[in-house]
Amino acid sequence: MAKEITDTARATPTATLSARDMAPKLTKLQKIGNSKYLGLILLAPAGVFVLLFFFIPVLLTGVFGFTNMSTATGITGGSYLANQSSMQALGDRHGFGELADQINQIAYTIDDVGLEAAAQDGVDADTLKELNTKFAGTSFDNRRDMERAIKNLDARPPNTRAVKALAKHFERSIINIRFESRQELLAAINEIGVTLTPDQQAAVIEVTYTGWVFSTDNFKRMISLPDTKKTLINTLFYVFTTLILFNVGFALVLAISTHYMDAGPSGFFRSVWLLPRITPPVLYVLMWKWLAWDTGFISAILGPFGVEPKNWLLDSPANAWTFIILINGMVGASMGMLIFSSAIKAIPKPLFYASEVDGATRAQQIRHIILPQLRFPILFITSYQTLSLMTSFEYILLATEGGPGGSTEVWALSTYFKALNNYAGALEYGYGAALALVLVIVGVVLSILYLKLFDFKTLTAPPKIE
Amino acid sequence: MTGNYRKWPIILALGILTAPIILMYFYLFLDTVTNAPPGSLVPDEFTTEHWRFLWQTIPGRPSIWLATWNTLLFASITTLIVLVVSSAAGYALSRLNMPFRAFFLGGVMVLHAFPTVTLLIAIFLILQMLGLYNTLFGVIMVKASLELPFGIWIMKGFYDTVPWEIEMAGIQDGATRFQVWTKLVLPNVKPAILALGIFSFLAGWSEFILPLVLAPDNKVQVLSVYLAALIADDNNFDMALFKSVGVFYVIPVIILFVFFQNRLMNIYSGGTKG
Amino acid sequence: MNMRYPSTLAALATTAMISIGAGTAAAEDYTISVWSGGTGPNDTYRIDAIKIAAGLLEEEASVRGEELNITIEGKAFDGWEEFKQAITLGAEAGNAPHVVVSGHEDIAAWAQSGLIVPIEDYVDLESWPINNIYDNLLEFASFEGTLFGLPQDAESRPFFFWRDHMSGIGYSDAQIDALPDDIQSGAYSLSNVLEDAKKIQDAGLVEAGYGFYPRASNGPDYWQFYLSFGGVMEDGGKLVFDKAAMTKFYQFFVDAVELGVTKKNHLGMSWDQWYGEVANGKAGMWHGGTWHYKRYTTSEGNDDFFGTIQFGLIPGGGSDGAANTITHPLVYLLTQQEDDDATAIAAELVKIASGPRINALHAIKSAHLGISKAEESVDLYSGDRWARVATERLLGHASAMPNNVNFGQYWEIMFGGLEASWTGQKSVADAIADVETELATTLGDRIIMR
Repeated sequence: MAKEITDTARATPTATLSARDMAPKLTKLQKIGNSKYLGLILLAPAGVFVLLFFFIPVLLTGVFGFTNMSTATGITGGSYLANQSSMQALGDRHGFGELADQINQIAYTIDDVGLEAAAQDGVDADTLKELNTKFAGTSFDNRRDMERAIKNLDARPPNTRAVKALAKHFERSIINIRFESRQELLAAINEIGVTLTPDQQAAVIEVTYTGWVFSTDNFKRMISLPDTKKTLINTLFYVFTTLILFNVGFALVLAISTHYMDAGPSGFFRSVWLLPRITPPVLYVLMWKWLAWDTGFISAILGPFGVEPKNWLLDSPANAWTFIILINGMVGASMGMLIFSSAIKAIPKPLFYASEVDGATRAQQIRHIILPQLRFPILFITSYQTLSLMTSFEYILLATEGGPGGSTEVWALSTYFKALNNYAGALEYGYGAALALVLVIVGVVLSILYLKLFDFKTLTAPPKIE
Repeated sequence: MTGNYRKWPIILALGILTAPIILMYFYLFLDTVTNAPPGSLVPDEFTTEHWRFLWQTIPGRPSIWLATWNTLLFASITTLIVLVVSSAAGYALSRLNMPFRAFFLGGVMVLHAFPTVTLLIAIFLILQMLGLYNTLFGVIMVKASLELPFGIWIMKGFYDTVPWEIEMAGIQDGATRFQVWTKLVLPNVKPAILALGIFSFLAGWSEFILPLVLAPDNKVQVLSVYLAALIADDNNFDMALFKSVGVFYVIPVIILFVFFQNRLMNIYSGGTKG
Repeated sequence: MNMRYPSTLAALATTAMISIGAGTAAAEDYTISVWSGGTGPNDTYRIDAIKIAAGLLEEEASVRGEELNITIEGKAFDGWEEFKQAITLGAEAGNAPHVVVSGHEDIAAWAQSGLIVPIEDYVDLESWPINNIYDNLLEFASFEGTLFGLPQDAESRPFFFWRDHMSGIGYSDAQIDALPDDIQSGAYSLSNVLEDAKKIQDAGLVEAGYGFYPRASNGPDYWQFYLSFGGVMEDGGKLVFDKAAMTKFYQFFVDAVELGVTKKNHLGMSWDQWYGEVANGKAGMWHGGTWHYKRYTTSEGNDDFFGTIQFGLIPGGGSDGAANTITHPLVYLLTQQEDDDATAIAAELVKIASGPRINALHAIKSAHLGISKAEESVDLYSGDRWARVATERLLGHASAMPNNVNFGQYWEIMFGGLEASWTGQKSVADAIADVETELATTLGDRIIMR
């Protein structure tokens, strides 16, 4: 097909317009193979993934940050439940104490309505007749008495579930019943003979709703807690110390020193320093624990010198931070090392030879030849790794769990604990989302700043074919 | 390279700094096949008892082979998805003139800033709506999405290094852009695809938090969660067993590393500027 | 017509109709899943009891002439964090197991969000064995006046002494034997604890930091010390923060650290190491739970528990509060499911598993305490010295954490403050101030501040 076009085109070199006119029509697939649509099609799968698992979650997180979602409210749905605590809140928070007392009655009454409904459900006629004879018009003020009365009948229902079903027909209160919608709740309140003013209605709906509601309490809480500031400081300390010491600092050391070595040792060191990054975090942290725990390597080595075996990792916040920075740093240094190394490799060798001839020391070489070339990569690593460090918490979780005493808890880890993982199982999704939102905003702002810094245009030079 | 400088001081200095890593890995392998008296670092006997988890299932846990299979499935499918989607998207961003191109590219860079793990609740909800919570496939989708920004950026970098002439020639020969891509350009970025593939596989193999939260069930458990649960269990502290499971876990990583380290180390070279 | 929880009514009614004349639905297959938290190798009966119950229910069905096949799928978690996470997320996804064994403190939040349904909807409270279960345990398994679950086990959290170390600082055998009574009467208080711990350490009987060796991770145990200083957890349905009691409680641990009898970085230590040390006399005094008996005598190699260890209530704080202990019963709970019949079967299984003979299996294997009066006369139980002595000395004085929707948050905040003061991150005054602020902003009017 392509050949035909070519032949035709060659046959009439000057009349390109007519050649195009005379060219066989492109098939649909080939039309798609054209620039504008092809680009969109090629990007589509990526777009779907990114939309589904990046943008929508961010949106959702933003929304949840303004709710009080937790294990007590559930994530989806909510019912209307009148019980002791909601009625108490009705009194305390809204001042409708009397109304609360009115609603807060449990009553089971044997009346005709109930008997009829039971008959319709197929309850045995003898049972109902006996109930009517013995208890017509009687009220019980709790469920167990009602059920006991039914069980004591001669013609009692055959099994427990039937007893409970029968009792339900005579329930004339709304306490401890979950209503799926506010209309049902209000209608039920009406049925038990209580009338509500609109104010009272709103109050009742508010106290009985078990699902989550919108509120800005999360942010108020975040700002007022002194621990928030502490976590923030921890995060800043962690990010910048690790960045400067390892991700940039030691990476430079590695890249430059391996540059000056022969291929053998150079390759060896580079490989070894790549190991922490590719080792699965669970195993990597386990090895550090082996090093630092009471029963580990450091304790064993120092034992003969009279040093007590102790948990070097958790002994004090300083210890914990040292190890956290080491653990994360050794992983982080490798990326910088690789990028800096390839940038150094790109420096033409004659430059080095020339400087040696001029009598330059290594330090001078580094300062005047290597570092200037690394300006851009250093900037890049700084920005990329700042973001990586800010959002990572896996290693810290595995190593110290934020200990001792919360001293190594960074913002991302704090979010994880609040929202998904704590001893008492009090998972607060809403508050966690608020915390996550802060992180997202900071991250986005930082990355946009970095993009500006990088002269974004050069990365997106228009394609040459067009 | 430069002849007139002494090399050994640097090697020594670096060696000392590298010693902890070498030590940890050395003892990692040593402890899995030896026993040492408590408190001592010198082993006194060889043993295979730490490897018993291979043929005995630890009560309450899935078989290690099931976990291995799950991990293999997870890592491979994630890699496949990442490769296919990244090479397509990377090409589009590198070569094709589409509307909002700059926007897409900038977006990819900004995505790296999203703390995806802290968006877990929202991601959980989406998976739940799709019915994919507690399934391997669900976690695969999420992990693949996580790896995409990096993958797209890497592929774009490598595409950028492919000379325009190849494509020009192809166009002149009458091929569509699509054919140019598949038949001419892709073969030229094979190193990139290989490197990205290895990287993604390693990332998938190591992933811990996502399967922990989104697929906790025994049937879909992966090795990282298996090992972490073993370590966290306070009823049987056995460092040697942990290390043995760990070594078993890390074998594919080591293999890939030994054979492909050069590729891995060059993965960033296609993407730097300046 | 009255509005109901429509599905429950419909389900109950339909089943009632079908069941007239028969027992349960005929020729049915059920797969019931059971997940249990904080469950180690000694606690396997939490799930196995359900399997035994399933066998019994199947036999009862065949006696009635029906065919019932029940398969039990159990999953045990040995910690709590991952367990609670899996339950809550799984429930949202519609994947929760039928039966959950968790701490009773989860009932409030889970009931509120509709994750669990009351067992009272499915079983007759006056039937066997529920009518024999201790009333206070049933209280702990209830919320808002409704019985949500059945107690799976009972326990208490005693204070332990290593006999040899106590004699080493001058206590006679008679005095050591009298310690539990002294604790109960208030003669032996927490200040005595610190004093004696210091003496034990100074005498060189234990190493530094081992005089008083508390629990090394979060747990209900810490509330006991709050109670010891007169604190109250709940009053009239609302949580209570007693600032003075909480301050003295934090201060007690800080004092222990300052005296040197407890290590500053004690929290976070590995459980394995902790058990090994306390079971074999490396510590002077410590506290734990009744199930420790099993752990010490089986895995930690202590063959002479009663000869080496003395135990009693947690001492009071002196004039401020009384000796006490907290019981943290685990409960069998039923989750909200689409298939109501399965839930009904699960309820029956849970009921059967709470019978004295079956429950005694768990009680003795794991050294927890029994849940019913009849259980005390089951041979397996009465023949066990520990079960008898611990029940008698502790269970009668035990209180429990409240079933309150916001208790989980209160707990996390309390422990955060304790950790911060213990490790020296904050002074006690600062920690208390921060706890107060956090409670006020998080819980607002749902907690009473005293």
